[in-house]
Amino acid sequence: MVFKVLSGNGAQAEAARLARVQVIAAYPITPQTTIVEALAEMVASGELKAQYVKVESEHSALQVCLSASALGARTYSATSSQGLLLMHELLHWASGQRTPMVLGVVNRAVAPPWNIGADHADTMSQRDTGWIQFYPESNQEVLDTVLTAYRLVEDPEIRLPAMVTEDAFYLSHTFEPVDVPDPETVDRFLPPKDARAILRPGVVSRLGSFTGPDHYVGFRHQVAEAMDRVLPKLQEVESEYARRIGRVLGGPLVGYRTEDADAVLLTLGTTSTTARGVVDDLRSSGRKVGMAKLRVFRPFPVEAVRQLARTVGRIGVLDRSFTFGALGPAASEVRSALYGIPSPPSVTSFLSGIGGRDVGPQDLRRVFEALLVSEAPGPRWMDLETSGEVAAHG
Amino acid sequence: MLEIRFHGRGGQGAVVASELLAQAVFFDGKVAQSFPFFGVERRGAPVTAFTRIDDQPIRLRSFIENPDVVVVLDPGLLRDTPVTEGLKPGGLLLVNSPRPPEAFSLPLGGRIATLDATGIALGRKVGTATMPVVNTAVLGALARATGAFTETSLERAIISFVPSHPEENRAAARDGAEAVRTEPVAPSTVAPAPAPPAAPLPFPEGPMASRPSHVLHTSSWRTLRPVIDRDRCTRCNFCWEFCPDDAFDLDAEGYPLVRLSYCKGCGICATECPPDAIQMVTEA
Ligand code: SF4
Ligand code: SF4
Repeated sequence: MVFKVLSGNGAQAEAARLARVQVIAAYPITPQTTIVEALAEMVASGELKAQYVKVESEHSALQVCLSASALGARTYSATSSQGLLLMHELLHWASGQRTPMVLGVVNRAVAPPWNIGADHADTMSQRDTGWIQFYPESNQEVLDTVLTAYRLVEDPEIRLPAMVTEDAFYLSHTFEPVDVPDPETVDRFLPPKDARAILRPGVVSRLGSFTGPDHYVGFRHQVAEAMDRVLPKLQEVESEYARRIGRVLGGPLVGYRTEDADAVLLTLGTTSTTARGVVDDLRSSGRKVGMAKLRVFRPFPVEAVRQLARTVGRIGVLDRSFTFGALGPAASEVRSALYGIPSPPSVTSFLSGIGGRDVGPQDLRRVFEALLVSEAPGPRWMDLETSGEVAAHG
Repeated sequence: MLEIRFHGRGGQGAVVASELLAQAVFFDGKVAQSFPFFGVERRGAPVTAFTRIDDQPIRLRSFIENPDVVVVLDPGLLRDTPVTEGLKPGGLLLVNSPRPPEAFSLPLGGRIATLDATGIALGRKVGTATMPVVNTAVLGALARATGAFTETSLERAIISFVPSHPEENRAAARDGAEAVRTEPVAPSTVAPAPAPPAAPLPFPEGPMASRPSHVLHTSSWRTLRPVIDRDRCTRCNFCWEFCPDDAFDLDAEGYPLVRLSYCKGCGICATECPPDAIQMVTEA
């Protein structure tokens, strides 16, 4: 193992190199560009033996990857925001065809208006495409998650694609030390992809072509069942990762000081780091608060959230995007997960960090204070309350 | 923890500077977290970058509101950006400027340091004549003025990670360290005028942006201005064609005229002009 100073984008590229991906196809978009630049350089220098396929759009990039995956190759692509939206049709193809791959997504606001700041609307709006979704909080976690994601998605019981996201700028362009495992250790954790391809040259078969109602529903059900196997399988994969590489990732929901907390805030991505510090500050002034990082959003960790809810009076959910006509996407899921349990906690939806608004410790302190005094459901647009554009309520 | 905030413009190397600084701090055996933030990706647009340095893992992932050090890569920013906002009393303001520290003020007191990083970059041929890249000279000065990281580690980071002309960049960093002059500044005895209450953000009705581009003058981004030599000009209109900000008009005889309120000083017109009729001159 050796420490390197990497950006989040650098960590994505390093992880793809360590995973010995065989086919890369991607189209550049800010703030993802430096991922594919780094990979293009690795391929050009011979450091990474992979096919780098140049394409004219994100839609084509994903088509190349899922076709190569169907033929047995380990594939990688990366995108962001509008690029991910352009992939939308093929996201469904990748999961429906059961072609495993890993896609790095730099979470960036969706236009209009045009904006390149951190925001989860791009990946949240793809939550129903059958992809596993991870939301890491550090560059170290980006690297570790990409490696575990390959092992997970290629498992014969899973065979689904996964996206590993990173907040624009707060990870994508942030340089910090990352412990990079040596290639031989990674090889032992992540052997070459099982060569049993879906499509085999010389064997006549059909993939993704017309299927009537007699079989269509069965195929969809198989995807659903595979998704249900993800969390138990992830636990196995993460234990193996901890054993081989020595780092514990913590499963889909990673709590901090939640045991005796009156109020717990659920976070996704980089706000988790800042929230942990704020929890410590508030604890030292006698406030019983905790936080939990939602690392995996799809499949949604219903059981883990219920477990947490057993001991907590109030849950706040901090979303960095909004589902128009509903709530923050994670808040909706949390409420739905808690339906029907005995004496459930209140759930408040907080929105913060939309379109690259900064979420500092003072902002999170305000979220905790609001949570400690009110059980109102929200949604509360905290960015606008701070700038005085809407009145505080609740 | 030491917190540093950089103010620069797209093209001046703020992104590379934040990477180099993180590398240098890491070589010193400390923890760094370094990131740039840009609103628009345009050469000349204001860019902010943030660096935190600590002996232990950093548990913040947000902008730096109360820096210990403010670094200004482009003195033109002092005209319209409140760069020292939130700077801690007793903090350091480092400005890329040929003027002495005494030419600047710091009402809360602290230290002011200056160096002519643009002159150093031009002399060491770092970047181009129309877009000198000042980041390495400024980092050299920052190492010397703060002692927060060693000059040895900075040079090692430059040699290991600067893709083009690492030797010239290392020389620029050394020049920067030698050239920087730091002066203590006492807090102003005249109480600073109370800041006017922050005006509420203009709230656009939507979906239209509140400031369309014809009123958004990009001239404040400019550090160099194009001057056209009509004797050499062949009226080919290449400059008009290539200007990314549509800053050219043509006069009655077909000669180009630069509308300086839109010109951001990128120098593309000067690069494209076939007979070299456009010179980029430093703004006064
Ligand atoms: S006039 Fe020249 S320097 Fe000014 S913005 Fe246009 S191309 Fe750039
Ligand atoms: S490009 Fe040069 S020669 Fe052509 S019109 Fe412009 S200034 Fe004149």
